[in-house]
Amino acid sequence: MIANRRSGFDRAVLALLCVLAFAWMLPLLWVLALSFKPNDFLLSRTDAFLGGPTTFANYLNIFQTSLVFRWVANSAVVAILQTMGVLVLSSLAGYGFARTEFPGRRIVFALVIFGLAIPGQSVFVPLHRLFSHWGLQNTYAGLVLPGLAAPFGVYLMTQYFRAIPAELEEAAMLDNASRLKTFLRVILPLSLPAQATLAIFTFLASWNDYLWPLVIATKPDMYTLTRGLASTQTNFAQSEGLGFLMAQAVFAGLPVLVVYMFFQKHLVRAVAGTGTRSRGDK
Amino acid sequence: MLRRLLLAAAAGACVAVAGCGPTKAADAGGAGAGPVEIDLMRFFGSCESDYGTNTDPSRAVGECGILTSLINEFNAQNKGRIVVNTQVAEWGPYYDQLNARLVAGDVPAVAVMHESMLGDYVRRKLVEPLDAGFAQAGIATSDFTDHARRGVVQDGHVWALPFDTWSWLWHFNMGLMKQAGLATADGKPVLPHSPDELLAQARQFRKATGKPYFAWAAANEPSANARTFLTLVYQQDGHVFAPDGRSIDVHTPEVRKALDLMQTLYDEGDVKPGQDYPGANQSFLNGEVGTLIVGTWTIGQFMTEAKKPDSALHAGYQVTPFPQLFARPAIFADGHSWVLMKGGSPDPRQRAAALALMRFLWDHDGDWARTGHLPTRKSIATSAAFQALPFRRDLAEITSTGVSIQSNVGTQRSVENLIGEEVGNMIVSHKAREKGLHDLEKRVNAQLRRNHH
Repeated sequence: MIANRRSGFDRAVLALLCVLAFAWMLPLLWVLALSFKPNDFLLSRTDAFLGGPTTFANYLNIFQTSLVFRWVANSAVVAILQTMGVLVLSSLAGYGFARTEFPGRRIVFALVIFGLAIPGQSVFVPLHRLFSHWGLQNTYAGLVLPGLAAPFGVYLMTQYFRAIPAELEEAAMLDNASRLKTFLRVILPLSLPAQATLAIFTFLASWNDYLWPLVIATKPDMYTLTRGLASTQTNFAQSEGLGFLMAQAVFAGLPVLVVYMFFQKHLVRAVAGTGTRSRGDK
Repeated sequence: MLRRLLLAAAAGACVAVAGCGPTKAADAGGAGAGPVEIDLMRFFGSCESDYGTNTDPSRAVGECGILTSLINEFNAQNKGRIVVNTQVAEWGPYYDQLNARLVAGDVPAVAVMHESMLGDYVRRKLVEPLDAGFAQAGIATSDFTDHARRGVVQDGHVWALPFDTWSWLWHFNMGLMKQAGLATADGKPVLPHSPDELLAQARQFRKATGKPYFAWAAANEPSANARTFLTLVYQQDGHVFAPDGRSIDVHTPEVRKALDLMQTLYDEGDVKPGQDYPGANQSFLNGEVGTLIVGTWTIGQFMTEAKKPDSALHAGYQVTPFPQLFARPAIFADGHSWVLMKGGSPDPRQRAAALALMRFLWDHDGDWARTGHLPTRKSIATSAAFQALPFRRDLAEITSTGVSIQSNVGTQRSVENLIGEEVGNMIVSHKAREKGLHDLEKRVNAQLRRNHH
């Protein structure tokens, strides 16, 4: 009797989740459907999901933009370098805060955490002036470096390292391993789930970033994909070029989808693990 | 597995970037015998796939198509001498990107600029005066239309090449207008000549068709509210800005009359509610309203729609300037212009090339007018070729009746948005009139004060 009631409850929850998931997916499906409609058709009809004419012209237009693969490559370089840089810096800083003692550690950590509360936009103008002054406009360094300051990454890794039992580290040190070796051989491998989470968040943020590339990359061949695709839109794209706009959204989102598909098990495991880690959970 | 994936992706990306080659810097040296390169920064989108190699503007349509073809033609005509590198930025954050380039010293030689933005760049000494350059290039400023002259001449100097005048029009669905008895025998709309006539016609239209007379982008598009509002104020010979451009005063009878009219139309159901820019256009194209208030740039699009047999506009599209409802013929207008950025063409050869490009664009102002925008040359506005284009004979009056916000008002786009937001709050959201007017003044004056600090 109880089992039946439970099973009915589970089915109801499942049905509710399906409805919510569909509601969440609906705008994405709409975007996908509109990306295959001619622009002039969408001038007067944006409610047609499956009806109406179908075209691949919007995607062809993207591929016929001469710099589009350059923009994809730029985005990939920036996102990968930024992800790698954030992983290295956040891991080192997180380990330092979690496992070492040095004067002012608490204050420095508080300052890093304070960085989480500062919106990126508020430091935008001075940051741009600084990078321009250094001659980094239209360079990969200019695109990548600001993203390496990642308070969230430091915070995440600090908390993760703190949760790793100190005995593991002590055992390695008893075997004459140096602190660096202990970090590289013992602690770092244990933090792979957190690294994967941080990598995905950083990669997505970097790939989708529009605002910083907007001002630091002003030569078309240094545009990132988000920036480049936006530059091709006509003045009233939301009305007269809607199909093209939607195709751009799908095209720009595909690599993100691929990355998520490859890394999702790490993401889920890490997010679940941060709340429920036990000594045996490696 | 993950490591291999990352490494492969990084390697692939690096190869791709390397394969694309290094950035080709603009030719800054004038001593070389090769072609001189200049950077041109603009919005209007990118349409390489359709017009990437087209050098005949007459075969192009739309802003992007015509401009791309014009630059292609210029490059072809000047092969071996001048290369214009077009750098396209999107319309929304265009000025943010231009400013970022100026800060970084990456200055384009020529840039497109709204005339409403020109004053800011002149005051900051970021653009070159062009009086001597135009004389040298053979651009006759005496041929500027009245509106173009008001847009680009400041403090007695010419600061930009006016390229077009764009303005605020009424687009009509003549099928519905006929149904409402608001069409003349020759198929033109019966236009109102006063606020009372407009209200009466709107009621007549609603009664006959069951549909609202108007659609305009009242939601999410503050500039549309501002342009209609300012047009109604200008038509009463009203002013909202102080002569020195440093403050705004909206506690005037002209402002109240303008708001009263807009409010009544909205409250009586003569404006389709809750429409943003694409929504208002869709309502018009689907025959849900009789009249759409929007700019010059949609004419070509609506004419194309009207040719389709299944269109609600089929064989029934008309467009007129915003009708004169008060004593003075006046319509909100702005224009696109081309500026020579200070420091963007440091070499005399580059400067000469930039002026040659401007002369070319000046010569082709008539081609550009096919977009729906109005010409900035009197000789073209009055030419038989221009007047023969659909509706242009009626629209040409805007080249003299167009009124812009005075040039000494800074950051006009922000100001226009602030005005539009508060007008929208009063009309659409029924914010109390006094509170709305107070907030409008407070917000705009704060913005204007910031401009002068």
